[in-house]
Amino acid sequence: MFRKILIANRGEIALRIIWACRELGIKTVAVYSTADTHSLHVRFADEDVCIGPPASRDSYLNVSAVISAAEITGAEAIHPGYGFLSENAHFAEVCRECGLTFIGPQPDVIRRMGDKAEAIRTMIEAGVPTIPGSDGVLSSEEHAREVADRIGWPVLIKAAAGGGGRGMRVVHDPADLGRAYDAARAESQAAFGTPEVYLEKYLLEPRHVEFQVLGDTHGNLLQLHERECSVQRRHQKLVEESPSTALDDRLRSRMAAAALKAAGAVDYVNAGTIEFLLDSRGDFYFIEMNTRIQVEHPVTEMVTGIDLIKEQIRIAAGEPISFTQDDVRTVGHAIECRINAEDPDTFAPSPGKIRSFHLPGGPGIRVDTACYAEATVPPYYDSMIAKVIAHGNTRGEAILRMRRALESFVVEGIKTNVKLQQRILTDEDFVRGRISTKFMERFQPAPRKVTAG
Amino acid sequence: MDPKQLRELIEFVSSSNLATFELETDDVKLKLVKESAAAVAPAAPVYVVTPAPAPAPPVPAAAPPAAPADLVPAGPPVPAAGEAPPGPAETGFVDLRSPIVGTFYRSASPETPAFVEVGARVRKGQVLCIVEAMKLMNEIESEIDAEVVEIRVANGQPVEYGEVLFRLRPMSA
Repeated sequence: MFRKILIANRGEIALRIIWACRELGIKTVAVYSTADTHSLHVRFADEDVCIGPPASRDSYLNVSAVISAAEITGAEAIHPGYGFLSENAHFAEVCRECGLTFIGPQPDVIRRMGDKAEAIRTMIEAGVPTIPGSDGVLSSEEHAREVADRIGWPVLIKAAAGGGGRGMRVVHDPADLGRAYDAARAESQAAFGTPEVYLEKYLLEPRHVEFQVLGDTHGNLLQLHERECSVQRRHQKLVEESPSTALDDRLRSRMAAAALKAAGAVDYVNAGTIEFLLDSRGDFYFIEMNTRIQVEHPVTEMVTGIDLIKEQIRIAAGEPISFTQDDVRTVGHAIECRINAEDPDTFAPSPGKIRSFHLPGGPGIRVDTACYAEATVPPYYDSMIAKVIAHGNTRGEAILRMRRALESFVVEGIKTNVKLQQRILTDEDFVRGRISTKFMERFQPAPRKVTAG
Repeated sequence: MDPKQLRELIEFVSSSNLATFELETDDVKLKLVKESAAAVAPAAPVYVVTPAPAPAPPVPAAAPPAAPADLVPAGPPVPAAGEAPPGPAETGFVDLRSPIVGTFYRSASPETPAFVEVGARVRKGQVLCIVEAMKLMNEIESEIDAEVVEIRVANGQPVEYGEVLFRLRPMSA
């Protein structure tokens, strides 16, 4: 086992990793930018090294500074947390060359799964379902029609060079295909300088359901059930839960088998997540794999009782996973709400000094945060300031616990999205488990209210 | 040394924090002692006179010793050595800070002498030390013409970003 680990991150996840190390008897080194001098991860680590000015590229993303900090402190391994350098294959390689253990998967796996096209190709070869489509650029409107008839309507036409919704058209009715095809090409030409478009199946009200996997260097590969993360805004998750209200035992075991197949296709080692889109008919499709620990990992920890960070460290040290697939049992229901420093109505970031801070507690409540009264939320980094996780014997109990936890979560001095989370937790469809990735669209106007079911 | 140079030197020393000043070249040996200082100060070596608010211990902390405001949360970020030409602080000293994380070396190799000693006069662009990061030897240069007043880190010690390496007294060119 390692004697000393450097944590190449900040905020709540840095603190979370420090706690895991402390329980394992491992010394910790915090690295920080000059904007984080008074952060709790600096305060609670055994050692700390200032690695640069506030801008991430000069500090938390500065490979040379992070490696040097490990060298001068004698750390043997680096935990990258999430974000920053966590899915940077180059960084994982440099660690290896410098004799440091990167706590995560092999660099070539990070690279392969980070390249979206390559990841999809790998999954098709492995027999994991992916979203059906044209497998490349459309040559004509006729070509588009052929593909759409084969995979089934509705379809989505997307700019090959695209992003951000431009050059994108949903086509429900075959009669509209010609117009949509031309419009998408024109928009793509205007926005990206090329008219190339491709086509894929358009999923109606899809849910985002992901599976946690763990692999070790002894050939063990396990899955730790699902997390439902459909409540998201512009691909930013806001609420995550486990189990998903959309899965029965049969669907769960089919999806779990696909997740293991996906991870097995790249001989995955350490903690990873297979993300699927699940449609209303129970068909599911691989979208991507995250080769790191995720923000929402506590949801899985609360229902399985497994400490994922400690497991990551043990795996990186060459130990086998400390339990078997049969040992993985879930108890009750867990929900996580991400608390961000942002305006609950406009979603604009709200950095600044926290004047007063009171954390919720009591039965079934866990809060992961690195904030405190008088702490400053710097404008340079992610706006998430806390994760509130509620566990209950049933989903209803977890919702009720979350509601009263949010009520007693007091943050003054900066704006937070606590009120928005309270609106979500009282939304009738949320309470009934009727959610999809479209769910957040309703929170532009004032929402409806209902009591817990 | 002509009278004009001598006068300028006397003026410079008078307006400085120095108590005594010694200069030795091939043809000149000169010692200037300030009257007030001579009356009180012992004959000890001189360079640290009326120092900046206590020469803070060289612990690995990024807070600059001359800026108590940094003890307050959200203090201003430590400026990188190299950002904006360092102007003399109220005390007349300028701190040279490490621009990177690494290991501090006072000489190019264990066999060679140190780049500088306390009391040395250095030119702008002169190498004062090396900070090794990832097996790369990064030469750290003085930003100004100056005299080395204090060396704050011992040879072979790790340094972090923003840590003070040298305390310098600026000299007019």
